[in-house]
Amino acid sequence: MPNHFLGVERASVSFGKREAQVCALRGVSQFFERGTLSLVMGPSGSGKTTLLSLLGCLLAPDEGTVFVDGVAVNGLSEAERTTVRQKKISFVFQAFRLFHSLSAIDNVALGFELRDAALPGRMEMARDLLVRFGLGDKLNQEPNELSPGEKQRVAIARALAGNPPILLADEPTASLDAQAGRNICQILRSQVDDDGRTVVVVTHDPRWREFADRTINLCDGQVEQKEKNL
Amino acid sequence: MKLAWQNIVHDRARFSVTVLGVSFAVFLMVFQGSLLVGFLRAASRLIDASDSDIWITARGVQAFEFGTPIESRVREMAAGVPGVLETSRVCMAFAVYRTPNGKQQVVVLVGADRNVGKRFPVPGVPGSAEGMSPDALLYDVSDRDLIQVTALPAEVEVNRHRASIEHQIEGYGAFLGVPFLFTSYRNATRYMGFGPEEAMYVLLRVDRGYSTSDVQQNLQQRLPEVDVLTRDEFARKSRTYWTIKTGAGGAILTAALLGFLIGLVVVSQTIFANTMENIEEYATLKALGASQAFVARIVLTQALICGAVGSILGLLAVVPSIGYAKSLIPWIYTPWWLLLVMVVPSLAMCALASIASVRSALTVEPGRVFRA
Repeated sequence: MPNHFLGVERASVSFGKREAQVCALRGVSQFFERGTLSLVMGPSGSGKTTLLSLLGCLLAPDEGTVFVDGVAVNGLSEAERTTVRQKKISFVFQAFRLFHSLSAIDNVALGFELRDAALPGRMEMARDLLVRFGLGDKLNQEPNELSPGEKQRVAIARALAGNPPILLADEPTASLDAQAGRNICQILRSQVDDDGRTVVVVTHDPRWREFADRTINLCDGQVEQKEKNL
Repeated sequence: MKLAWQNIVHDRARFSVTVLGVSFAVFLMVFQGSLLVGFLRAASRLIDASDSDIWITARGVQAFEFGTPIESRVREMAAGVPGVLETSRVCMAFAVYRTPNGKQQVVVLVGADRNVGKRFPVPGVPGSAEGMSPDALLYDVSDRDLIQVTALPAEVEVNRHRASIEHQIEGYGAFLGVPFLFTSYRNATRYMGFGPEEAMYVLLRVDRGYSTSDVQQNLQQRLPEVDVLTRDEFARKSRTYWTIKTGAGGAILTAALLGFLIGLVVVSQTIFANTMENIEEYATLKALGASQAFVARIVLTQALICGAVGSILGLLAVVPSIGYAKSLIPWIYTPWWLLLVMVVPSLAMCALASIASVRSALTVEPGRVFRA
């Protein structure tokens, strides 16, 4: 009996119609245990991002079931899936996706606001998070004034605002140099070890292997291989 | 909503264009609104200035300025109707005025009995200048250039009769580009060549114990050859004539509407461009769990901020401009409520302008966040 905390069961997704149809996932069943860091690897077009989109309730499968925090989310409306994302899931992106007009602290405070608009002391909590990630002197800098590594740390701080149990990261180190990339790996690993968060990272970066509990390799929309790392 | 504010001030050039667009629209709407309000006020100004309850006019008179004679016996017959407390007379006619330096000018000559009303400009009513003869002429200060009087009293001619301008008043300036001259009823009929059997407007005050509409109906039954109107009815008729039938009101309203449309297009364009430029951020917001209402609120707030700032700037610009315009268009009038009321269509304009942007922001796929 698999742990249904987070995962997909016989999930298939295809894009396009008729001759142009591309099958991104073919009956994939894959679950991620609570409190682990999992890597999803594979060549371009293997279905990694599609799998992440399913787990993040950003996409509904053509067939199969998606579980988030033990609940099947397939039949949920758009508004209900938004609520699931709001309460349970956070994202870290390759391109950071910070709000360009907001300072670092305001970006993180917005993360808190999106999860709970009535939450008091958002600015203080945002400051604490940024200080924790070594950005205490960059609180009021706008994203274009930060280095790529700093931007990604702000993005992670924003993702952790409101303490969501699931963190999904899409190529979080692809735009970073070696040192900054390693730093991000350590931060996300600590989310698992210290806070019991469930982290799924889609990546091509082999540096991640030493930080992951296991690796799932996808190829042509199917799980090709599963490895236990740690 | 900090994001909404920051998004618009971050791009100052675009924000400035939007605010200028709104300011221009507000300026135009308030200016045209002031013209319309002033025009409406001027169109019925003399009717409103009377204290009478009922005006009797010749059949089909559309406006005060187009009065035609009626028989003077109408006044005597009306005075005998139960409920009629007091009668008075007003007459008007276009007349030829010769300035002290010999130049000729067409004027509107208005004559009225003293009891027509305290606000009605007529020599000899309580409050008018002391020492003024009962047959003196009054003119509005804004018509000084047309009347060409340098010192008072001034000897002039009206329809080839010697006349004396003795006093200047305010608030009754040229409405049709033709200045008004006011005098007593007796004097006016003399200048106009009215016979004793002729009258033009007969004004009635109704006794407190009687209903104005009952007296009006009674009068109309007894005097079918004339129109019997309450003061408000005649004022409305006059305003309707000048604003609708002449097309003047339509032109003013069209200009105000154009201002609204120009503002709508400018704000719509800039808010839409801003939204499309930040469309990826809206996708990110939705991916992070922002509700549709939250996203819509951001776009709408941006539009309303532009609307509020633009409105304030527009109002700041229009008030002194109208002050200046008053020297050229004496009847232009901006009531305080017009300034407040105009903020509503400007904000509505901005809200309307944001509809396309809200739709774009709401329909963006949150799944696109994974596209680098």
